[in-house]
Amino acid sequence: MKSNSLWKDAFYRLSKDKLALCALFIVVIYFLVAVMSGAGWIASSWSQEVGASNLAPSLDHLFGTDIFGRSVFQKLIRGTQVAMSVGVAAAVIAIPIGVILGALAGYFGGWVDDFVTWLYTTFSSVPNIMLLISITLILGKGIFSVYVALGATSWVNLCRLIRGEVMKHKEREYVQAAGAIGGGHFRKLFRHILPNVGHIIIINTSMQFQVAIKSEVILSYLGLGVQGEPSWGTMIDDAKLELVRGVWWQLAGATIAMFLILLAFNILGDALRDALDPKLKGK
Amino acid sequence: MTKYIIRRLLYMIPVLLGVSLIIFILFKLVSGDPTAVLLGKNATAKQMADLREQLGLNKSLWLQYLDVVKSAFTFDFGYSWSTKQEISKMILQGAYPSLCLSVPAFVISTVLSLLISLVVAYYRGKGIDLFIRVFCIAGMSISALAYILFFQWFFAFKLGWFEISGFEAEFPFVISYIALPAIIWIVLSIGPDVRFFRTVILDEIYQDYVRTARAKGLPEVTILLRHVLRNALIPIITYVVIQIPSLILGALLLENFFSIPGLGGMTLNALNSSDFPVMKAMAILSSVGYIIFGLLSDILYTLADPRIKFN
Amino acid sequence: MKAAVLLIGLLCLIISCSKDRNFDERELHLISPEKIAGFDPIQASDMYSGNEIGKVYEGLFEFHPLKRPYELMPNLADALPSVSADGLTYTIKLKQGVLFHDSPAFKEGKGRELKADDVIYSIKRLADPKLQAKGWWLLDDKIIGLNEWREKNVAAPATTYDEEIEGLKKIDALTVAFKLKKPYPQFLYALAMPYAFIVPKEAVEHFGKEFLNHPVGTGPFILPVFQQSNRIVYTKNPTFREKLYPSEGEEGDDKRGLLADAGKKIPLVDKIIVDIIVESQPKWLSFQKARADLLEIPKDNFDSAVLGGKELAPELKSKGIRLFANAQLDVTFFAFNHDDPLFKNKKLRQAMSMAWDRGEANKLFYNSAAVEAQSVIPPGLGGYRKEFRNPFIKYDLDMAKKLLAEAGYPNGKGLPAITIQTRNETVSRQIIEHFAKNLEKIGITIKVGMNTWPELVNKVTKRQHQMYTMAWGADYPDAENFLGLLYCPNASPGSNGSNYCNQDFDTLFKTATLLQDGPERSAFYEKLNETVAVDSPWIFGFHRTKFYLSQAWLKNFKFMEFNHSQFQYLNVDLEVKKELSKKF
Repeated sequence: MKSNSLWKDAFYRLSKDKLALCALFIVVIYFLVAVMSGAGWIASSWSQEVGASNLAPSLDHLFGTDIFGRSVFQKLIRGTQVAMSVGVAAAVIAIPIGVILGALAGYFGGWVDDFVTWLYTTFSSVPNIMLLISITLILGKGIFSVYVALGATSWVNLCRLIRGEVMKHKEREYVQAAGAIGGGHFRKLFRHILPNVGHIIIINTSMQFQVAIKSEVILSYLGLGVQGEPSWGTMIDDAKLELVRGVWWQLAGATIAMFLILLAFNILGDALRDALDPKLKGK
Repeated sequence: MTKYIIRRLLYMIPVLLGVSLIIFILFKLVSGDPTAVLLGKNATAKQMADLREQLGLNKSLWLQYLDVVKSAFTFDFGYSWSTKQEISKMILQGAYPSLCLSVPAFVISTVLSLLISLVVAYYRGKGIDLFIRVFCIAGMSISALAYILFFQWFFAFKLGWFEISGFEAEFPFVISYIALPAIIWIVLSIGPDVRFFRTVILDEIYQDYVRTARAKGLPEVTILLRHVLRNALIPIITYVVIQIPSLILGALLLENFFSIPGLGGMTLNALNSSDFPVMKAMAILSSVGYIIFGLLSDILYTLADPRIKFN
Repeated sequence: MKAAVLLIGLLCLIISCSKDRNFDERELHLISPEKIAGFDPIQASDMYSGNEIGKVYEGLFEFHPLKRPYELMPNLADALPSVSADGLTYTIKLKQGVLFHDSPAFKEGKGRELKADDVIYSIKRLADPKLQAKGWWLLDDKIIGLNEWREKNVAAPATTYDEEIEGLKKIDALTVAFKLKKPYPQFLYALAMPYAFIVPKEAVEHFGKEFLNHPVGTGPFILPVFQQSNRIVYTKNPTFREKLYPSEGEEGDDKRGLLADAGKKIPLVDKIIVDIIVESQPKWLSFQKARADLLEIPKDNFDSAVLGGKELAPELKSKGIRLFANAQLDVTFFAFNHDDPLFKNKKLRQAMSMAWDRGEANKLFYNSAAVEAQSVIPPGLGGYRKEFRNPFIKYDLDMAKKLLAEAGYPNGKGLPAITIQTRNETVSRQIIEHFAKNLEKIGITIKVGMNTWPELVNKVTKRQHQMYTMAWGADYPDAENFLGLLYCPNASPGSNGSNYCNQDFDTLFKTATLLQDGPERSAFYEKLNETVAVDSPWIFGFHRTKFYLSQAWLKNFKFMEFNHSQFQYLNVDLEVKKELSKKF
């Protein structure tokens, strides 16, 4: 009941923040584009030639054409689908693992903490890029391995943050008080502590979303990204060779597409944080 | 305290065992059979079989895992498969260029971010807060690859302010090689840093003790620097210290594009040539670094916040 | 305000930190696009390692820097060898007074004279089973007694070099006799390759495992210590023997100014600085800033360097930069795995071949400068016939559709998707994307499999692929090196990665390889090349062209396929460099 009003309140505050609404609008648009492209309603003919090779942007071809004469704009749309799905998949894998392990470890301490700490220390000790690369190599290349690899690497950070925060809150008066009036462990943990660390999840997810999108670029640069489908990563990778010969539109297109969504996600994450943070209430 | 440190140092053992296991499993699956690559395009089957024996690939998996564990504890990494160089030597030679780039870039970006986030926190909610935040976020919303391509072309080539690529160990020439990649590093890391620092500073600003201090009539700047920063320092230190081990690995893309002969490029090369011993060495090294700096960050934690006790 | 001043001040400081250019010493600035593993000749399997090793080490023979077609000339050997009538015994006399570089490995640090023992030692080292040399295939099963010696030492705790081998005899202090098991017409080429360069025993033993970082050769340049860095600096070898710049070359070399230094003592430059730059953008920008004297044009910078595929861009021309375009001895291909029953179907192979628009691919990827490969042998080698046309490499969709239907897959119906394995490089990916786009038109689905180099090699040697694509570059100027790619006994893990087997081809190939160079052998090669082409064992791609840009002050550059010894002949005109540098 209490948290219900918190969220209501948050939405009310969010609706007053014009910048955040803009950001939300952009995110929604991107998701729509991704879904429509995924359903094959738009940009399904991205692989068709629409003109000569490497045409500069014009009214006919908004972002020009690539080396095979395909429309860069259509490739961008198709790439949106890849990018959004990568971000979502990574978050879907990482959040449950990170939150649950982190909360349990921070709250219970003892051997649970030892085990979780051991697990994430071990995982985060292996350089991220090596984990990413080896997982994509093992699972075979393709979008699925990119999902798993990004998910497997991004829970660690969240887990550590949640654990630290839960540890801090465990000591605070309100939790002690909840304990004193007879709240069970899980009630204390999920009812009292987690809502107070929720902003960490949100900030971390908005961060992780962009890390995922950026990692896709790095993986594409290494030739391990999505195969047989245009992605922003492969487009930027193409551009590394094209730029000096003056073909800048693939880079520009992919960079703008990426820039907008990352910017929107970051602003939205910040706004959500401000809106959701219980301590900020009434300020 | 000493007891705690000893306990934490002993803790390295299970972590190293875990790391060895991950490394072993992952790279065993990835590297497959390296002999074809090691022997070149005209190898014979006989030659490959001999080499497999020499590299110990015919040993049982258990023994091969023990080999990984052994090198994790002795730091004896042996020789690279692809370059035949002694790995500890390769690492020593690569560490200097990597650190030349990463340490200054890291220090500058951290200090700069802290300053910016204090300013932002001071003006919270005002136009300037919004502007700087959006600016920082914008900075990190562009792919590193795009920065590299553009900055190298524009600043190094068109304007000629920096060397295009390469590395020279000698001071002060090293600056002209390192400056541009360092700037890119800073631009990329200021965004996330400022966001994080601002978050933790704002967390503190709304605590009760700050209200008390304000009620006492202390000026806002004093409150910010003396009280808020002191408490916010705990998560900030954790955040910063934890990042230090990753400096060892350097910046993969930056090193590659600016031809800096560091560890990042070495690792990338190893990955591209299935050089298992080198990957193993780098993974082990960074994990040891991670553990040591994790310990360091925990000790700093106590010094800054006496509420957390060790048992 | 203060901050701005500070920032500008800092910037000035950084800019002032650049080193000034050196116009007093003859320095040669080169770029190597790949990391160098080390300086052990027996492991120099790639061209770029070979290039570096060739600056410090030398072989018995080398390719003439100017004459074309490629011609061997004696280097450490005093003359070309005398060969016995049966073609099995090669007697080689060494030059007198050739000194190894000064090194702590030698007594009193002074380099000693080269002897016949060094040749024998170096060849044995190539065969040493403990070292697993990448170049062993060159001499595998060639020299009498060498394989037996190798076998004996596989199990031994340490390799014993003392034992005399029948096929590897010292006649006197400066003369060696090689005895072969069977005719091996490519033998001298083998001796000219970096694998067979001569190393002194003392250095190998003194430096042990660190030998690869302390090159001690007889070559024109010295490098006391090699460090894993991105810059290698060589200096002129002060004790280098009297070796002169050749006074004759190919016709027209005189006019091109390539004989201006004839008769001068080499090396002509005092210092060579090699920068290792992997990515093409910094490579290209560095050259344009005159940080390098010579540049192999990265494919993708071609358009900005060369207008319309012919002429140099004006801003480059005005700086005196010159363009060199040279046909390479190589072939690119899509190989089928002939183990796969699918590809036993010749009509399918031919249909796929004919559905690929090579003209467009040439334009997109090779700036229309590559030659469409009719078969395996590239132009410039005996066995290549200009007039020969392979009917199945023509782009003809109707024909392709017809063949596909005859193969049993009308409009691709019933044909599974085919995966082509390639390297994880941008251009490789794009080439397959292009191929896939073409084959879609006749109803065939192609998928891309991206691999690191080791993965790709593994898949090919273990036959775990449907198709793969690669390029093969000549090891030496003999078509045997190319035809061998389709020779059944070379099937995986050998160089015949497509596992193609054709008995008629094999019999003919075996006969041809035993022949010495000459019109008879060329006729054999032609026949082999042309009969196999029609069978479409691969989808033939291109023979590529390499483009180089050179600064105006670089003298004596002439494209060489086997260029490891080329750098000693290059020269730098300091006057021109000083003058033109203002323009950069």
